[in-house]
Amino acid sequence: MNNLLIALRNILRNRTRVFSTVLIIAVGLMALLIGSGFMLSSYDALQEIAMRSEGHVIVLDDESELVRGGTHQQLSLTNWQMIQDQMLDDDRVLRVLPRARFEGLISHGVRSAAFFGTGVDSKEEFRVHGPFLRTTNELDPWLAQNEVPDLMLGSQLARTLDTKTGDFLILKTQNSSGDLSEITVRLAGLYETGIAEVDDHTLMVSLETVRVLMGSDNISQLSIYLEQRENAAEIKNSLQKKYDGVTVQTWTQRAELFDKVKAQYDRIFGVMGVIILVVVFLAISNTIALSIFQRRNEIATLAALGTRPVAIHANFILEACLIGLFATSLGMLLAYLAANAINLSHVMMPAPPGRTEGYQIFIYISWLHYLLSSLVLIATAVVASLMASYNNARVNIADALS
Amino acid sequence: MVARLVLDTVAKSYVAGKGTVTALQNISLSLSEGEFLAIQGPSGSGKSSLLNICGLIDTPSAGQYHLSGQAMGQCSPSQRCEYRRRDIGFIFQHHQLLPAMTVYENVAYPLYLNKVRPKKIKSEVTRLLDKIGLSHRGHHLPVQLSGGERQRVGIARALIKCPQLVIADEPSANLDHKHAHSSLMLMRKLNEQYGASFIIASHDAFVIEHCDSTINLLDGCVVMPS
Repeated sequence: MNNLLIALRNILRNRTRVFSTVLIIAVGLMALLIGSGFMLSSYDALQEIAMRSEGHVIVLDDESELVRGGTHQQLSLTNWQMIQDQMLDDDRVLRVLPRARFEGLISHGVRSAAFFGTGVDSKEEFRVHGPFLRTTNELDPWLAQNEVPDLMLGSQLARTLDTKTGDFLILKTQNSSGDLSEITVRLAGLYETGIAEVDDHTLMVSLETVRVLMGSDNISQLSIYLEQRENAAEIKNSLQKKYDGVTVQTWTQRAELFDKVKAQYDRIFGVMGVIILVVVFLAISNTIALSIFQRRNEIATLAALGTRPVAIHANFILEACLIGLFATSLGMLLAYLAANAINLSHVMMPAPPGRTEGYQIFIYISWLHYLLSSLVLIATAVVASLMASYNNARVNIADALS
Repeated sequence: MVARLVLDTVAKSYVAGKGTVTALQNISLSLSEGEFLAIQGPSGSGKSSLLNICGLIDTPSAGQYHLSGQAMGQCSPSQRCEYRRRDIGFIFQHHQLLPAMTVYENVAYPLYLNKVRPKKIKSEVTRLLDKIGLSHRGHHLPVQLSGGERQRVGIARALIKCPQLVIADEPSANLDHKHAHSSLMLMRKLNEQYGASFIIASHDAFVIEHCDSTINLLDGCVVMPS
């Protein structure tokens, strides 16, 4: 007795109703997979931004405000060259970039603006940001033969100051001794992150420029870039054990934007998932309940022949499983085709709040997500059919057969 | 001869609205092994109620019911289900073949329920289909059969497990004379071969004529034992 074949024949007896149920589940699953694919690609992009901007492992001085959850960064990390040398000898490490944060006033002619500056490794800094930092030029190190050091400006800040490449500007700040300090710099180029807040207020100079301006060799943080992000925790732990007076963090501890967006997306797609599950539940319940109603006579015959109630329920559950299987297979196929169509058609999203430009929608195809979502929907179909069967398949044999 | 089925002052009443409807009262009968008993009576006389009680589909409101010496009155629903699966075959007026099963599967179903080995199921079903002249229809669905063929499949399904008792409710009601005759002859032949006792509710004089004994029901009472 091939129960699967019999269940299939029963399903095909009500083609129209089953087809509409399959379609409802398939479209629901497709929406869920497209949404979660978009969510995964967004997570990935945000992780990339977090890792590329801060590094996989970050070394800070114990006194740094960042350690205590603040935002201001002093030049407090002293023994960084030692850590840098050690890390550069490690095969797992790609780059070790010192960053010296400072702030002050920048002037171009009569125009002035407050800035947040970063002293960076001129050679390496611009190689790690990838597509998340677009530049018009690279920052030359302040070599001995150059009379004036170079400066890179956020594109919006350059607009505010009405300056162009080659112009001379003045940076004024309070140095580490507490005295007023200033230096003349030449605008080497602009950069754009797409985040209005960053492009409006930030600038970059070489580490040497910061040393002269601030009168200190200290930096704010050491950003360590790894070949593989999975090694971050291990390297963090070994550094933390080895060096006193420093706090070592991984990128996940500094990825605030990622955390916030992930929490929001998790809520959005969580609600969406629940709605789709409810729709699937109702669709399957309705299909199975109608099927049971139409087949009361048949159920009574099965019972009269001595079929146990549990076996009668099992028939309907098997039918629901098959419907779920067909529907999720179709849903996965539709999601796969739609994801590829969207990815190939280069659809652009408008700029999100706080950003200056839109981005291309990309839908990840995660087979694990496809499989898990399908299993959850099939499980929902089974529960729905179980409830519908339990509530409706307990017929009075004599009444149903009369 | 051993009594296969004994009803002793069985009554059945239903609650209908605020009142009670009595379907059967003081029914006593005894059915021997291999006996072919007809129940006749007009519509509403209680034939179906009596068959339902005999077939363990329904329970009596009063009285005793024994099947092969076993008292059925205290049986739980699952025990009644077990008896139906093992010991009772049903032939329905509207044949009640399972529409998603082929002829072969419909006939095999009772054996499958009784966990008979697949090899034995195959040989038994093949043999019986051959006997009823439907071996060529084994892979057809009920919808592809004629009324007479469906009823023959229904009879085969009832007898495949060699039950002690076969309950047949108006087996010839939806058949023309030719098919009614052949169905009855088939039942009679299988009755002789398998030794099952039959209770047949029918209006058909031809059916009643070919039964060993008849009881008449009127308003839920036996009015004239044959």
